[in-house]
Amino acid sequence: MTRTRFASAVLAALCLGLSPAISGELPSPEDDIVLRVTGQITQTNANGAAEFDMAMLQGMPVEKIETTTTWTEGVQTFTGVPLAALLEAVGASGSAVKATAVNDYAVEIPSEDWEKGGPIIAYLHNGSTMSLRGKGPLWIIYPFDSDPAFQSELIYARSIWQLDRIEVLK
Amino acid sequence: MAVEEDDALADALGRQRTRSRLWTGLTALSLVLCIGLVAGLAGVILREIDELSTANSDNLQWTFSQADVEFLRFQRTLERAATGRADVGAVRRRFDIFYSRMTTLETGEIFYELREDPEFAAAQAKVAAFLERTAAAVDSGDAALAASLPDLVRDADAVEHQVRTVSIAGLSIFAAVSDQRRTDLTRSLTLVAAVLGVLLSGMAVMAATLFVLGRMAEDRTRAMQQTAARMRMIVETSHDAIIVADAAGRIEEFNPAAERIFGYFRSEARGRRAVELLFPPDTADDLNRNRLHFLSEDRRPEPNERQIEVTAVDSMGRPVPVEFSVDRAEQEGGNFFVALIRDITRRKEAEAELTEARDRALAGERTKAEFLAVMSHEMRTPLNGLLGSMELLRDHAMTERQSELLDRMQSSGRSLLALVNDVLDLAKFEAGKMEPENRPFSISRLLDGVVETAAPLAAANGNTLGWDWASVPLEGASGDPRRLRQILLNLVGNSVKFTRGGSVDIEAEITGPGGGILEIRVIDTGIGISAANLERIFNDFETLDSSYARQAGGTGLGLGISRRLAELLGGEIGAESEPGEGSLFWLRVPITPLRELPLRPAEEVALRPSPGRSLDLLVVEDNEINRFVVRQMLEADGHRVTEAVDGGAGVEWAAAHRFDAILMDISMPVMDGPEATRRIRTGGGASANVPIVAVTAHALPAEIARFREAGMAHCLSKPIDRQSLAATLAEISEGGFSGVPAAAEPVAEPVIDAGQLGALCSQLGAAAAAQLFERFVAETDGTIDTLAGMAPDSPDLAATAHSCAGSCATFGMAALRGALARIETSAKTGRPIPPAELEALPALWADSRAAGEAQMQRLAA
Repeated sequence: MTRTRFASAVLAALCLGLSPAISGELPSPEDDIVLRVTGQITQTNANGAAEFDMAMLQGMPVEKIETTTTWTEGVQTFTGVPLAALLEAVGASGSAVKATAVNDYAVEIPSEDWEKGGPIIAYLHNGSTMSLRGKGPLWIIYPFDSDPAFQSELIYARSIWQLDRIEVLK
Repeated sequence: MAVEEDDALADALGRQRTRSRLWTGLTALSLVLCIGLVAGLAGVILREIDELSTANSDNLQWTFSQADVEFLRFQRTLERAATGRADVGAVRRRFDIFYSRMTTLETGEIFYELREDPEFAAAQAKVAAFLERTAAAVDSGDAALAASLPDLVRDADAVEHQVRTVSIAGLSIFAAVSDQRRTDLTRSLTLVAAVLGVLLSGMAVMAATLFVLGRMAEDRTRAMQQTAARMRMIVETSHDAIIVADAAGRIEEFNPAAERIFGYFRSEARGRRAVELLFPPDTADDLNRNRLHFLSEDRRPEPNERQIEVTAVDSMGRPVPVEFSVDRAEQEGGNFFVALIRDITRRKEAEAELTEARDRALAGERTKAEFLAVMSHEMRTPLNGLLGSMELLRDHAMTERQSELLDRMQSSGRSLLALVNDVLDLAKFEAGKMEPENRPFSISRLLDGVVETAAPLAAANGNTLGWDWASVPLEGASGDPRRLRQILLNLVGNSVKFTRGGSVDIEAEITGPGGGILEIRVIDTGIGISAANLERIFNDFETLDSSYARQAGGTGLGLGISRRLAELLGGEIGAESEPGEGSLFWLRVPITPLRELPLRPAEEVALRPSPGRSLDLLVVEDNEINRFVVRQMLEADGHRVTEAVDGGAGVEWAAAHRFDAILMDISMPVMDGPEATRRIRTGGGASANVPIVAVTAHALPAEIARFREAGMAHCLSKPIDRQSLAATLAEISEGGFSGVPAAAEPVAEPVIDAGQLGALCSQLGAAAAAQLFERFVAETDGTIDTLAGMAPDSPDLAATAHSCAGSCATFGMAALRGALARIETSAKTGRPIPPAELEALPALWADSRAAGEAQMQRLAA
């Protein structure tokens, strides 16, 4: 399993080509840090943690999700980096992550969620960046409409907004 | 019995079938109902599952409490910043978080209902206003924010209540919503429970139905098993072979009787073709082609094709005569044939024996009847010779003693002839050759004649004899007077024979509905008959008392023949008796009453006519004695006689010579009378048109008709009676009837009816009658001349003939009346009247007048 994931990571790295990840090290953030990843990771750029500014996230693989949510009216467009891609980029190896919001709201997301390509870490909402008042700047979004399985309270609870920390658990 | 049971079984099966159909219908209905319910239930449950499988909201309590909590954290951070224990950055972050929480409440789809609530909306509006105000302060620079902190603290305190209100209102509304949801769920579950209940009931009904159906099937099976067992029993115990074959004729069933009759085991016979196995090849071919062709035509045999009698063959090749009935049973899954075969070997043998015995008996009977007929006929011929000769003997002078002897000879001869006639009658009955006649006659005259005939014997035994009506008299009737006379003569003769010095009375009575029955009773005061003997007297050859029988004479056939005659006439005959007191014989026969008295009584004997002219006659007769007798009789009356010994000679004579008349015997060897007559009539010879008189012993109506067809207009009965012979020849000599028989009556009317004249005289008195007769003669002289001179098509002819005929009838001139009546009828119906008939009138009148005058003289004397 680990080897597979590792192979995938290498493959992803190769494919990304010009990505900073290719050098094997994370670049350092140049702007305000919006996300800090800690725990079981191999790629760090600050004191055992991987820190990201908005530009770094935007430089990673992009995925767009169009869906309705229970917190908004009408179909919304969310753009962000797949959680899987981000965790790969930091060389995460673990069964779950603990995602924490600015107000210390925290929730655990098991690995199967991202392995099957569900959630993204959205940074654009309807094409605009999100302010803290608008549940930004980062918001974990699942493709709710694509599968009724995503329309559960458990998934709603994992859809954490005002995300700023991720800890990769064993 | 079996049929009834079958019917009952069929009824029961029918009822069961109806019931099971009902149950099946019910089951189907409940099944459909259950499927419907299950589908509905599935729909309800699926909807519930669908609703439960997706959550349409985040954890609402959390959202509201978070709004509350975030407000309190913001408030605390604000207060700390105001006291310098926190920086403005923290204030900003707390504000933003709180702001985002409130925005969620404002924009979230799930809060739409919430926003409709006025209390919530008011509180939210206030909070929103606070957010707008505070956002302006928060978004200004750090210094400005720090400066406005005390105001913000106050403002936050002021709005704290509103935030609380928002979250509490939200919570209570969502509590109501979730309550509603729970209620819905409860209802759904109740519905599910109800549906399950109905489903359970349906299943219970179905189970019950299946149970009942199972029971019925069991009953039916039992009934069918019973029937089958019974059928098997019948088939196995049957004495007749029962064979069941398929549509192609191959044996399927072969019962023990079939094994016994045909000598094959069932196992051998099964699968073989029945027709080829059980019948010899020729018969099998014939059966297949003809009587069993319905097999190849694949159809049910018609009712007339189902019974077949044929000879089969057993396994040893022995022929077995069988009778079999076959029919096709039509069933689903193929038709089959059932044949019941009976071994009729013994029946056939018995039939053959019976047939042989019957044939032998019949042959014997026939021989006996033939013998009787031949013998009696043969006896009559010499007897005729004897009687004729005796008649002729009277023309010669005899002594008194000789005359007495001749009387006895004649009497014995007549008795013998009567016996022979009885035997011949019996033989005719046995041969079934008797047929009743039906013609008009007078009952009074019939009885007069009987009394007259039996009177001499009655007188000889010292008996009185007479007759009278016991009811209103009936003169005219239609029936068979000849047979009646024969019966009555028998009965009266019988009574007279067994009565000595007593009386014999005859009573006649008309009875029955419409007066259609004539009953005649013959009552005597004789010796009587015992009750035991009464039973036997009408049997043949029955003579009760041998001494009396000897004394009275007779064959014992009389009453037997009378009984047969009475039966022939559709009547009955019987007797009552008291031994020593006397006997009563009664006869009841149907008759048809007639209003008009027949003019000429059938049994009237014509008076010897006045001697006519001498005739030239041909006598055709094979019997020499008869020829001799007839010749003697004819020559005694002055006629010329030529003899022919057989039909052929007669034809030759007739062709060569013109005779005035021919007397033709009927039964002759070589060529019989009718054939000879035909040849004479068609030969165109000299005597082709002359009258031919049949002379016969068997004068049945049918035979007389046959003689007439052959061309014989008249008929004389053997033995030839001299008076009848003379009367017939007199008529012929006077042209009274033509040689062409078509218009002539079988028996010619007599010239004069003596009885009628006698009646007239006794009614009017002799003198008045004589006066009347003279006037009648004078008138008729003129009328006949007029008629003779009239043209056949004269318009007055019919009327003149009619009035004249009427007068003639009054004075008993039967022949003339008949001739006039024929002329009248022809004139009325427009048929051509032969001129000869008119021309013959004067001669006939002359004869009639002469006869009438002679009679009148005799009556006057």
